[in-house]
Amino acid sequence: MHIRLNGIHKHFGSTRANDGVDLEIRSGEVLALLGENGAGKSTLMKILYGFYPLDRGHIEIDGETVAIQSPRAAIANGIGMVFQQFNLIPALTVLENLLLAYPNSGWWHWGHRAIQRQVLERLRSLAPDLDPEARVEQLAVGEQQLLELIKVLNLEARCIILDEPTSVLTPTEAERLWGLIRQLAAQGRAVVLITHKLEDVAACADRVAVMRAGQVVHPPTPSTHLLESDLVRLMIGQESLSPLPTVRPLYASTPALPLLQAQAVYVRDPHSGLGLYDITFDIYPGEILGLAGVAGNGQPLLAEAVAGVRDLNAGEVLFQGQRLQPGSPLRSQVAYIPESPLQKGVAPDLDLATNLALHQIRDLPFWPHWERQNARATELLHAFDVRPPDPRKPAQQLSGGNLQKLIIARELSGDPRLVVACYPTMGLDVAATQAVYQHLFRHAQQGAAILWISEDLDDLMRYAHRVAVISQGRIIGVQSTPQASRQQIGQWMAGVAG
Amino acid sequence: MMDVKTLKRQILPPLLTGLGILGLFVSLSSVFLLLIGQPPFQIFASMLEAAFGDEYAWSETWVKTTPILFCALSVALPAKLGLISVGGEGQLHIGAIVGTGVMLAMPDSPGWILLPSVLLGGALGGALWGGIPGYLRARWGVNETLSTLMLNYVGIQLVRFVVYGPWKDPANLGWPATASFPDTARLPLLGGSRVHGGLIIALMAVVVLYGLYRWSRWGLSLRVMQSNSMLAMQMGLNYPLQVVLVMAIAGSLAGLAGITETAMIQGRLQMGISSGFGLSGFLVAWLAGHSLIGLIPMSLLIGGILSAGDGLQLFAQLPSSIAVVMQGILFVAVLVALRLSTLYRSRG
Repeated sequence: MHIRLNGIHKHFGSTRANDGVDLEIRSGEVLALLGENGAGKSTLMKILYGFYPLDRGHIEIDGETVAIQSPRAAIANGIGMVFQQFNLIPALTVLENLLLAYPNSGWWHWGHRAIQRQVLERLRSLAPDLDPEARVEQLAVGEQQLLELIKVLNLEARCIILDEPTSVLTPTEAERLWGLIRQLAAQGRAVVLITHKLEDVAACADRVAVMRAGQVVHPPTPSTHLLESDLVRLMIGQESLSPLPTVRPLYASTPALPLLQAQAVYVRDPHSGLGLYDITFDIYPGEILGLAGVAGNGQPLLAEAVAGVRDLNAGEVLFQGQRLQPGSPLRSQVAYIPESPLQKGVAPDLDLATNLALHQIRDLPFWPHWERQNARATELLHAFDVRPPDPRKPAQQLSGGNLQKLIIARELSGDPRLVVACYPTMGLDVAATQAVYQHLFRHAQQGAAILWISEDLDDLMRYAHRVAVISQGRIIGVQSTPQASRQQIGQWMAGVAG
Repeated sequence: MMDVKTLKRQILPPLLTGLGILGLFVSLSSVFLLLIGQPPFQIFASMLEAAFGDEYAWSETWVKTTPILFCALSVALPAKLGLISVGGEGQLHIGAIVGTGVMLAMPDSPGWILLPSVLLGGALGGALWGGIPGYLRARWGVNETLSTLMLNYVGIQLVRFVVYGPWKDPANLGWPATASFPDTARLPLLGGSRVHGGLIIALMAVVVLYGLYRWSRWGLSLRVMQSNSMLAMQMGLNYPLQVVLVMAIAGSLAGLAGITETAMIQGRLQMGISSGFGLSGFLVAWLAGHSLIGLIPMSLLIGGILSAGDGLQLFAQLPSSIAVVMQGILFVAVLVALRLSTLYRSRG
């Protein structure tokens, strides 16, 4: 299979999402489509998948020009896509979800043995440890994504497009996915991997095409021919990123009183079945405490408990010596970046100006100055590069990365004394990630206490003062970073105490 | 000059929706009228005449509109928090009881004390009847729709109890009703008609609540709570308290409908002080899409249909319940037309 995109143009309003893009996709090969948020990668692939009509240009498959006007037509041409948002039914089992999406099956196929056998076989070959009788709502994100991929394979797709697949995965899950992607290419399929992560390119791409501002700025090249620094330069279009300010050293002579103390915190979450057990740690003024750990070990719970937005079952969180809990007036000095921005961070149907004022809603005058709020919002949206910077737009219309920037803008623009950041750079590109780090470090330098939850162990070890590791709801170990041993932290993450 | 594009996008869809509602309503109610053997267009014409034909018709329409507008507010306000209250009827009756109780306790006080006390009593009674389901909801998550529905029956039967029992006035020769309201406990009438000051209170309530909802911090916090109640609590907003508060305010408005209707129109507390105003208010709130300002024209429309029903009964010897059926048909027509227009628009 050989797909050729020729001179693809697509605009939304006045934005040119794709501006004359040429691209070649070949079987047996993994093509990484690399670029920052809003570079036009997803738009281009959604055009190929028939999700958006194109304005100008044409698509050739095996030398013939085809019109792909709907996803149905794309599937008929052997093109399948796994989106960032999953399309699964949580209350049904793995097998039921797969059968439901099986092509050309009638309404009564639950008892159809042949199809069932085929589906089970594919499931076993790709994901041997996935129980076909498990309900989808009990699956981890990575497993749900696997299920979506199998659904696409069941449609006999010969070209598979994955939209930012690793942005929701833990390092282990990402490794498994890379292996699978290699396997698919080895079977002779064409794979397009949309990503903004350099590690995805290094791990599994044969060729890489870099997009910026709606154009392919570098023609597809074997990925081994480019250095990481070249790729970054191509993606963001400048020679190099400004160097990050260093946060060290944390003066030993700083006031000996910790700003934040968690004391024997015990939390039980009936919904997820997760819990926190006997969590005890201190954070001193100006200190960044990094929290490492494999996803699903209670990080969001810990963030909520420390930020004072969740009731504790036992123990206490003290901030400046006073108890921090839901409804406490101390909350106004706490910046909290939750892990799922749309559900926990914004009022989705209200406009950006309102969402940017949410954290100070109790301090607003009874008749707020709406003009002033809008002006302030416009300023913040520009400063934090939220696109589009229109304070009247409802928050739910923002893309994932921009939503994250919106929350960063709200929480980190003020003067917090405590910052709790749960995966603050989730879904952000290189430049935006750097900006978030700069804000975190600035607050640390101004004497705030910072709890930084991340999956990027390298960055944690480079920038945090201490790294704690969480495993199954317990802090299993803490190390100061200059002397920290990567190996030791890795063992802790795997749940091995000692 | 407005260009064609804006015209097509902004003016045309609501216009088409409006025409759709009218078309559906006229055709469905024609079917209904033909089924009961009445000439549809003649009935439509006489209903229009009876509702908006002359000064008297207008005044009767405003009389019906007043309690409906109060009750519609009592539904639309909780809806701003995502609460579905159907308790207007019960709150109206309890408001009537408490207000009447105040009047019976001090019938001889001067008007400047008696009238405000009676109104306040009505509002407090309604607030209590709205606040109870509000508290149950806030404290234990009890479904407010079911609790308000059930409390309607309690409220209506409590009126039956007091007018047959303790408050029955012997001067009525066995007729189950309380003593009449003295003139000092009545609001002024408007322009010599039966339209009373309650209408002014209702209109003012709409304007004040609209202003608060639209521009104040309180309105902002309601919007945040409806959008994401979990986040609202994180930001330190007291969601349970607001649920109780909003339900109580809503109840007090329905309570005002009850006491003004009792004091001004009926003149004393008896059975049947409400001809389904609670239900009509619920319909109006939905027809207006829970827009506070939109409640005014919608209440007027429903008030017109109901007063036209009374007119039909008087002049054409037709049962006034025809109007109730047509109110139902209108509701169905609006819901169907709105749904169709959203479906059409989302398809682009």
